[in-house]
Amino acid sequence: MQEQMVTLIRLDLLFETIGGIIALMVAYYATKAFNLTGQKRLSDLSTGFLVLAAGLFSHVGGTWYFFVRFGVEGGLNPNLTRLFVLVTVAYHVLRIMAYILFVVSTRQSVRTKQPEMVMLLALPVLIDINLEILTIIILLVVVLQAFMNYAVVRSRYALYVLTGFSMFLLSHLFLILAVDNVRTYLISQALQLLGFIAFLVMLYKAGRE
Amino acid sequence: MKGKRTYRSKMRILADMMRAIQGEGENGAGPTKILYTANLSHDRLTQYLDELVEKELIILANSESNSRVYGLTEKGRSFLKEFVRVERISEAFGIEV
Repeated sequence: MQEQMVTLIRLDLLFETIGGIIALMVAYYATKAFNLTGQKRLSDLSTGFLVLAAGLFSHVGGTWYFFVRFGVEGGLNPNLTRLFVLVTVAYHVLRIMAYILFVVSTRQSVRTKQPEMVMLLALPVLIDINLEILTIIILLVVVLQAFMNYAVVRSRYALYVLTGFSMFLLSHLFLILAVDNVRTYLISQALQLLGFIAFLVMLYKAGRE
Repeated sequence: MKGKRTYRSKMRILADMMRAIQGEGENGAGPTKILYTANLSHDRLTQYLDELVEKELIILANSESNSRVYGLTEKGRSFLKEFVRVERISEAFGIEV
């Protein structure tokens, strides 16, 4: 059972590592686009994907260090447990920061009150389940903006972006349901990976077609 | 901020001019064709054509004053390809460039 758990954790680490690499690729192209056009929102988008990659890699590093290196069955001493909680909170906070940057960078050109509203929501949360709920709320705004953009431009590239963000949202919904269920947790990780793959396909096709 | 915005729209105009030239294929495009396709005033057209030539993104293939023809250089082709990619990615995220 413990061995199976470690295998699942390793699979999860693999998914997150691939996701982090794809996030870095999107950040790279967004930076390139910013350098070419000077459009500030592309810089925000790039920062968002960089922060997301940092969150994923910190989670991978933390999980590897605490669970794979020390072993699941060994248990962690209180100091290490505290450190692990800190790493987990940092991971959630980085993801929330990334999603807020997505809200800001992908907002519609017509000014709305959304970014300010989301910034207020981001302030006072420190407990994991609340962080997940907060993440879902922010991602809902991102998905809605991606949907509105797709409805306007109707391009396949916008559809890939909508799919990517929708997968992220589904992934977080599954994560909330996965409190004691490893399989649901893995589904959540797989959905997140699918989201990153949608972004990767968009990058590839935008350069080829 | 305003300066940046002017520069952004200029990038777009330059790309539109290059697209107009590319649209004419190997024959290249004359100033009138570029002017109409990129929707420009005559003054701006002259200014930006000079700039594109100076940056070696386009080349004056036929310099006779009555029938000037511009063609894309290799550098221009790769710039345009890169710009189209950037445009698609930005549009996919709902960002105008």
